[in-house]
Amino acid sequence: MTLAVMFPGVFVLSLLYSGFDRKLHARMQRRVGPPLIQPFYDFVKLMNKERIIPAAASPSVFVTVTALAAASSMLGASVLMTNLVMEASFVGDIMLVMYLVLMTAALTMIGGSSSGNPYGAIGFSRRVGMLLGYEVPMLISLLIVSYRSGLTLSFYDMVAAQSIADVVLAFSPGAALASLVFALCIPAAAGVVPFDIPEAKTEVAYGYLIEYGGPYLGLLKLAKEVTNFTLSLLFFTLFIYAPQSFPVVSAYNEWVNLLFILVGALAVYMVTITLPRTLFARMKLGQALRFYVWVWALSLVSAGLVMVGY
Amino acid sequence: MSEPKEIEFEYSRLVVPFGPIHPALKEPVHFKVTVRGEEILDVDLVLGHAHRGIELLAQERNILQNLYLTERICGICSHTHTTCYAQAIEEVKGIQIPERAAYLRALIFELERVHSHLLLLGVMAYEIGYDTLFMQIWNMREAVLDLFEEVTGNRVHHSMNVIGGVRWDLTPVMALRVSRVADGVEDAQRRIRTAFMDRTVKKRLVGVGVMSRADARASCLVGPTARASGLTMDVRKDDPYAAYSELKDDYSVVVSDGMDAMARVDVRVRELAESVNIIRAILGRLPPGEIRLKESPMRAVKVPEGEAVSRVEAPRGELIYYLRTDGNEGLRRLKVRTPSQANFAGIRQMMVGGELADVPVILASIDPCMSCTNRLTVVDEGAGRQMNVGLDELRRRRASTS
Amino acid sequence: MRLGYMFKEAVRALLSRPVTVQSVTKGESVPVPERYRGMIEYDREACIGCLMCGKTCPTGTILNTEAHKVEFRMDRCVFCGACADICPKDAIKMSSKSEIITRDRKQLLVK
Repeated sequence: MTLAVMFPGVFVLSLLYSGFDRKLHARMQRRVGPPLIQPFYDFVKLMNKERIIPAAASPSVFVTVTALAAASSMLGASVLMTNLVMEASFVGDIMLVMYLVLMTAALTMIGGSSSGNPYGAIGFSRRVGMLLGYEVPMLISLLIVSYRSGLTLSFYDMVAAQSIADVVLAFSPGAALASLVFALCIPAAAGVVPFDIPEAKTEVAYGYLIEYGGPYLGLLKLAKEVTNFTLSLLFFTLFIYAPQSFPVVSAYNEWVNLLFILVGALAVYMVTITLPRTLFARMKLGQALRFYVWVWALSLVSAGLVMVGY
Repeated sequence: MSEPKEIEFEYSRLVVPFGPIHPALKEPVHFKVTVRGEEILDVDLVLGHAHRGIELLAQERNILQNLYLTERICGICSHTHTTCYAQAIEEVKGIQIPERAAYLRALIFELERVHSHLLLLGVMAYEIGYDTLFMQIWNMREAVLDLFEEVTGNRVHHSMNVIGGVRWDLTPVMALRVSRVADGVEDAQRRIRTAFMDRTVKKRLVGVGVMSRADARASCLVGPTARASGLTMDVRKDDPYAAYSELKDDYSVVVSDGMDAMARVDVRVRELAESVNIIRAILGRLPPGEIRLKESPMRAVKVPEGEAVSRVEAPRGELIYYLRTDGNEGLRRLKVRTPSQANFAGIRQMMVGGELADVPVILASIDPCMSCTNRLTVVDEGAGRQMNVGLDELRRRRASTS
Repeated sequence: MRLGYMFKEAVRALLSRPVTVQSVTKGESVPVPERYRGMIEYDREACIGCLMCGKTCPTGTILNTEAHKVEFRMDRCVFCGACADICPKDAIKMSSKSEIITRDRKQLLVK
C-alpha cells in the first residue's frame, strides 16, 4: 500500500529534478531559463490538449503504450523510494526495477513504430541498436554490486551492506570500475546528448515522439523524466551512499537521511545527465556503439577484478 | 502520405519525407530521401514553399520601391541584394557613387558576411546536437547585430543603400564601436575554431558530404561551398565592385582542399578573419566626403531605358542580377540568380551514399537560404510529370484569374 | 584537452549574468539606439503634400486621403524609412517606439 502512496511523491520529485536540469542547462548557456516548476506547468498544459491519433497508426497500441510506459516507470521509482523509506525490501526487487526501466524503453519504442510514421520506425531501429550498447553493462555492474554485498538481490540489503562493511562500494577498485560503467550508461538510458540518437531532434524529428501530442505526449515525457530520476537515485544509493561515511547525517533521524539521499541523487543527475547534455555534441549510431564496446570491455574487466577479490 | 514500399531481399526501402516542417530546417524545403536502413539511396528535391513572386512584383513597382523589395528577398543577406540592385541601376543611369559611399557599402557588406557566417556556424552546431555552442556563437553574433542597429537603425534589413550612395554615415564614435566589434569577432573566431576542433564535432563533420573539385565545377557550385572543394572563385577579386578594387591587397581568398563538410565550415571560420582584415582596412582608409549624390527625388526616380547585369559576392556565393528598365520609372524585367540556387544542384551528389544522420549536416554545410531559392514547381500527380513554372506562365495565369 | 574548453565556458556562463532579459514576466527592456526605426511620427503642419513619400513607399502604407496631406496605415509598414528619407520638409520621423502591437486596427493609423 505504501507503494501506491509513493506515486504522487515520485511524480513531484521527478518533475522537480527535471526542472533543476533545465534551469542548470539554461544557466550554463547564459540564458535565464524556465522556472523550476516549469515541468509541472508543461504536464498540466499537455493533459488539457486535444487527443489526436494519426490515421496510419494502430489506435489501441498507440494509446495504451503511453499509459503503460508512464505506469511502469513510476512503479519502478516507487519501489526504490518505498524501500528507502520503509527500510525493507524483498528479494529480487532490484531486478524488478531494472526490468521496469527496460520495459519503459521498450514500450516507447513500440509506440514509435506503431505511429505509422517513417520517423517513428527509424527511431525504433535506432533504439534497438542503443539498447544493445548500454543495457548489458548496466546489468553487469549491478550484479557486481550484489556480489560485493554478499550475493544478495535485494535492494535494501545492498545498501545496508555498505553501511556494515564501512566502506563505500565505489571506493574499491573493482567496484569503482563498475560505478564508472554504470555512470557511462546513464546518458544512453536517459536519452540525452551525446546518446539521444533514437530521439534526435534535428535528424529524425524526435523519433518515437513524433506523432504523439497532448495527453499522450505528457505521459511519455513523464515516463522519461521518472526514468531519469530512477537511474540517478539508483546510482547514488548503490555506489556512493553509505551512512557510515557520513556520520554527521546519519546521527539524525531517518527523514534527514532521506533528504540527504535525494540531494545526492540530484547531484548525480546533474553530473551524469545535465553536464553531458550541455557540453557534448550528438554521436552517430555507429560511433556510439563503438564507444559502448569499450564500456562492455570495462564492465567485464571490473567483473573479473571483483571475482578475484579486489 | 503512405508511400509504396518495394521489398528488396531482406530490407525494404523507406521514403522519408524531410520537411517542409522539420526541426533541422530553418526554412521550408522538401526532400524525399529514400533510405535503406541508415544508408541514403536517393534524394529528390522540391522547392517552392516560400515562393512569393518577387520578380513579378518587381515589375509593378518603380525603381525606388524595388530597392526595398529586393532587400526583403532575404533577411540574412539583405544588404547584398540591395547593393547588387543599386549597382545595376547606377550602371543603367551611368552615375558614379562617391568614394566614401563605396567604402561604407563595403563595410556593411563585410559586417553582413560576418553575421551570416556566425549564423551558419551556430546552425551547424545545432544540427549536430551541440546546443551550447549554438547559443554561444549566436551570442557573439548579437554584438554585430547591435552594431547594425546603432549604425543603420535595424538589425537586419538595413536600408543602407540608396540609388547614388548610402543613407547613413559613420560618426567617429560609431567607427570606434565598429573597430571594437571587429576585435570581438577576431576573438570569437579563435574560440569557434577551438570549439569545432572538438573530437565529437569532428566525428560528425569529417568525411561527410564529399564533393570533389571536378564535380563541384561541373555542378556550378559557388561561394564558400565551392572554395571548400578547391575552386578559387571570389567575385570580390575576379570582378571588383564597390570599394573592393582598392582593398584587394588587404585580404586573401580562403580556399581549402578538404572537400567535405568540415572543410566548408573551416572556410567560413577563416573567412571571418579575412573579413576582419577588410573591416580594419576600411576603417583606416575611409575617405571623407559626401555619402550620396545630391539629386532631387523627382529626378532620381526616372531611369533611361537600358539593361544591366551586376554581380556581387554574397556570403553564400555569387549573386547575379539582370534588369531591364522601361525608360519611365519602372522595370520591364528583373531576374535574380541567388547563390543558394546554384548550390542546391550539388545536394544530391553530396547526400547519396551517406547516412540519414548526415542529412541535416550536409544541408547546413552548403548554407542554404531558402528565401533566396524559390522557384515554382507544379507537380501533376495524375499524369506523373513535373514542370517548372516560368514568369510568362505566372503572368498568364494571373491575368486569367483577375 | 578540448573538452575542457567547453566546460570552462559553461562554468564562466554560470557565474555571470544571463544575456537575456525577462521582458514579459518582469518588464525589463533593452534601450534602443538613436537611429532606430520605430513607429512613424507625422508632422501634419510641415507637410506640403508633394506625395513623394507615397511614391517611394514599397508597401502602399501611405495614402492620400485629403488634399495635400497623407495618412499612414501602419499595419502595412515594413519600417524601411524610405518616406522619412525622401521627405523634403522632414515632416516624417521614425521614433524609438517599438512596441506597437494592438488589437484595434484603428490604433495603427497615423494621421
